[in-house]
Amino acid sequence: MTTPPPPSPRAPLRDRLKARSELGVGALLLLLGVLVLTDALTLDVDVSARGPVGPATVPLVVGCGLVVVAVLLALDVLHGGRGEAEGGEDVDLDAPADWRTVLLLVGVFLGFAVLIGPLGFPVAGALLFWGAAYVLGSRHPARDPLIAAVLSLLTYGVFDRLLGVPLPGGPLMGVL
Amino acid sequence: MRLRTPFALLGAALLVLVGPPLLTPGSGSDTGTDIPGLRFMVPNTPGGGYDITARTAAKNAEEAGLTGDIEVFNLPGAGGTVGLTRLVGERGDGRVAMSMGLGVVGAVHTNKTPRTLADTTPIARLTEEQDIVVVSEDSPYRTIQELLAAWRKDPGKLPVGGGSSPGGPDHLAPMLMAQAAGIPPKEVNYIPFDGGGELLASILGDKVAFGVSGVGEYLDQIRAGELRLLAVTGAERVPGLDAPTLREAGLDTEFTNWRGIVAPPGLTDAERERLVTLVTKLHDSPQWRESLKTHGWTDAFLPGEEFGAFLTEQNTRVDTVLKELGL
Amino acid sequence: MESLNSLMDGFGTALTPVNLLWAAVGVLLGTAIGVLPGIGPAMAVALLLPVTYGLEPTGAFIMFAGIYYGAMFGGSTTSILLNTPGESAAVVAAMEGHPMAKAGRGAQALAAAAIGHFTGGMIGTMLLVVLAPTVAALAVDIGAPDYFALMVLAFIAVTSVLGSSRIRGVASLLIGLTLGLVGLDQLTGQQRLTFGSLQLADGVDVVIVAVGLFAIGEALWVAAHLRRTAGRPVPVGRPWLGREDLRRTWKPWLRGPFLGFPFGAIPAGGAEIPTFLSYVTEKRLSKHKEQFGKGAVEGVAGPESAASASAAGTLVSMLTLGLPTTAVAAVMLAAFQQYGIQPGPLLFEREPELVWGLIASLFVGMVLLLALNLPLAPVWAKLLRIPRPYLYAGILFFAAVGAYAVGGEALDLVVLLVVGLLGLGMRRYGLPVLPAVIGVILGPAAEQQLRRALQISDGSVTGLVNTPFSVAVYALVALLLAWPLLRKAVTRTRAAG
Repeated sequence: MTTPPPPSPRAPLRDRLKARSELGVGALLLLLGVLVLTDALTLDVDVSARGPVGPATVPLVVGCGLVVVAVLLALDVLHGGRGEAEGGEDVDLDAPADWRTVLLLVGVFLGFAVLIGPLGFPVAGALLFWGAAYVLGSRHPARDPLIAAVLSLLTYGVFDRLLGVPLPGGPLMGVL
Repeated sequence: MRLRTPFALLGAALLVLVGPPLLTPGSGSDTGTDIPGLRFMVPNTPGGGYDITARTAAKNAEEAGLTGDIEVFNLPGAGGTVGLTRLVGERGDGRVAMSMGLGVVGAVHTNKTPRTLADTTPIARLTEEQDIVVVSEDSPYRTIQELLAAWRKDPGKLPVGGGSSPGGPDHLAPMLMAQAAGIPPKEVNYIPFDGGGELLASILGDKVAFGVSGVGEYLDQIRAGELRLLAVTGAERVPGLDAPTLREAGLDTEFTNWRGIVAPPGLTDAERERLVTLVTKLHDSPQWRESLKTHGWTDAFLPGEEFGAFLTEQNTRVDTVLKELGL
Repeated sequence: MESLNSLMDGFGTALTPVNLLWAAVGVLLGTAIGVLPGIGPAMAVALLLPVTYGLEPTGAFIMFAGIYYGAMFGGSTTSILLNTPGESAAVVAAMEGHPMAKAGRGAQALAAAAIGHFTGGMIGTMLLVVLAPTVAALAVDIGAPDYFALMVLAFIAVTSVLGSSRIRGVASLLIGLTLGLVGLDQLTGQQRLTFGSLQLADGVDVVIVAVGLFAIGEALWVAAHLRRTAGRPVPVGRPWLGREDLRRTWKPWLRGPFLGFPFGAIPAGGAEIPTFLSYVTEKRLSKHKEQFGKGAVEGVAGPESAASASAAGTLVSMLTLGLPTTAVAAVMLAAFQQYGIQPGPLLFEREPELVWGLIASLFVGMVLLLALNLPLAPVWAKLLRIPRPYLYAGILFFAAVGAYAVGGEALDLVVLLVVGLLGLGMRRYGLPVLPAVIGVILGPAAEQQLRRALQISDGSVTGLVNTPFSVAVYALVALLLAWPLLRKAVTRTRAAG
């Protein structure tokens, strides 16, 4: 495991932007806290609860906790505190974040969720693997789709046929 | 290299499109009761009541040679209403059925779900089961009368344990008892547990004053003397069990839980008929008779439309009971 | 020692060639199925139940036990290699095991897990033989106030995994607790944070949360910062545990069972809390605290041993009381009933041959599993040598399969993705993911036990401290909290004197 490199001094603007964006985490936590509190307050507390702890008590505690932590985190960020992005073997923190790849991956994954119904698991699964591998930089036009297809079909066979965990087979089921 | 790509793509496409149907064995001759690819949905967790009913029925149907493999899968949640909603969503699918019972009727009311059992195609009622009132062997209550006397005095101090969430059978039974005993149901201190296991531990460990559960669940503990059976809730005594009915104990009420099978809405008459026939043949099979005996279930077979009428009647009863309870 | 004699008879049953064969088949099947993503032991046992129908009861249950333990062995393999735990007991294995695998120590992680399962299972089963009746009698005395006290203890323990920034650790924990709130309130049946969706009524599954935060979150995070220059595959390293590894792991292996076994035996125990407590304990006791989160071998060895011992504990209450304390036990209970056998107080008298054969075959299965899995560890670890795009595409693929296979709902995939994006954001801003997972596990359990305790005491707060056990646990909690102050006081007086 390599230790993450110390924050480089060369990009003060980027650092400031990052600090600003970290305030967004506080804002999100605050929003979540408000959401939890609103939900808790709309509960019907009267339903046969005994003692001081009803269905709304724990949500109220968690909601308040979220609000407090959101404020504390914002204060921390304003005083120069910084969350340390997670390092790792495959992670290069010096390079600028490549959000395009992330968005594409999210798209591929959502595509799987949408397509699994109409196209069946083997097709959607193969597209998921192929798409993800392509987005992540694999460029073997012949090998990639074949690996994806075999992996997906094998998985389908093991789950659906051998184990009896139902997975949709695709449009040709019952036609052939 | 260039040239191989289209072939690879074509090969991959063929694999994933044509592969699945080829992997699936031919559906074979479709005669009588065989429903290829039939699935039983269980709306609660493995090991629960509906689960055991579904798995036993599936196994018996396969053994009796009525149909091929029946796949049993669990979709637990919200007292069975998650499964119910999914089943209603499978509109027109004649190859799926759901094991259910009185608990689902109650859960529909307490969860106020938009999908109800009126949306399903009733197939058959299979079994019924009385509830029992049990205490641990160290409990101070030796008879149902002693228990009732203490309960009337201070209902809050006598927590009742049951294996179902509010609205379920183990909840309805003590509420009906309380009503008949002159205790305002709102004062009953009912504690729901996750199924029979945790409940049993709480009764054995005297965490609750008494427990209410299905008669089949704790037969062994009763026989071993670890649990004391105070009463059964049905109209008649249970053969082999030495306990009075509630009515004999002076409470003017009775309660019986039941289990059955429903299918999605929008089935053709043929599809519905096929499921009803399958379940009827299952009911007549020696394997099912044997299972009824080993599990201690009471046969309460009621097929098709009669079951539908029964569902409506139960729905009204649960509705009025829960309304009276202020739920 | 009547039980030892019976156990010897049991070995007589288990070691017949036919039963040995069933044990081997069960072990193989269990491992193979357990390795699949999204399939934990409970599901593996339920799926393979029909396979045993053709056998007579003794053979069937021997095979069953093999499947159960085999699935637990296989389950940690996917956790360690692909970061996709198949069930909650394997979540902790991913935490240290996966970083180890990424650093080229996958074989060691797998071996540490396998030997951990082996020792945990062996010690657990021995405790089962010796203590079964006693433990069973004690288990039913553990009630809601006791559980709640244990939860408080577990929450205190969470503080040691909050990471370098307390505030960010607490934020993560609160996110987990919020996820844990989603669903129907268990006592009143009211919907909380479900926004009217019935699919959310049962809450967000902890496995979905773990796979989302760990696997999807990491895949996306790596995608954002993929080291494009280094085409170097994951180094495979030496296949066996070295002397240094052994020195670090033998104590965790032996400690694990003493957390796992009692939790397995009590009615609402299970394997999540003991594996987590074992992880925290090992972190506290380790001389290599700084390695935790980056691949500390103790963090694999202890929890895995606790997990297997907890499985043995589960069998105690199931065989002697007929009390299913986990999903697996519930499935096994159903299987017993299929054969017209009712586990419970009378089982040992009615079916001695079956029960003792089953227990003996647990020992046999453990040995078979160790013999199967140790040589396999380096082979599995080589899997990670495949090119990066395939590796992360495969992780996404299998995470998706696992999430979909459980309920067949496309919505689960969306939930998984949302949790994955949450994991991405948390990595970006330095929020540790572990406290969130702990929050999802502990939160709902703690709330349920707290409210149940109060309900049983009819609303009186004394209902939380009315058992000796709970008082003892709270005393321990007080001691733990006061410890830093006490230590400071002690060093100060020493320095002064």
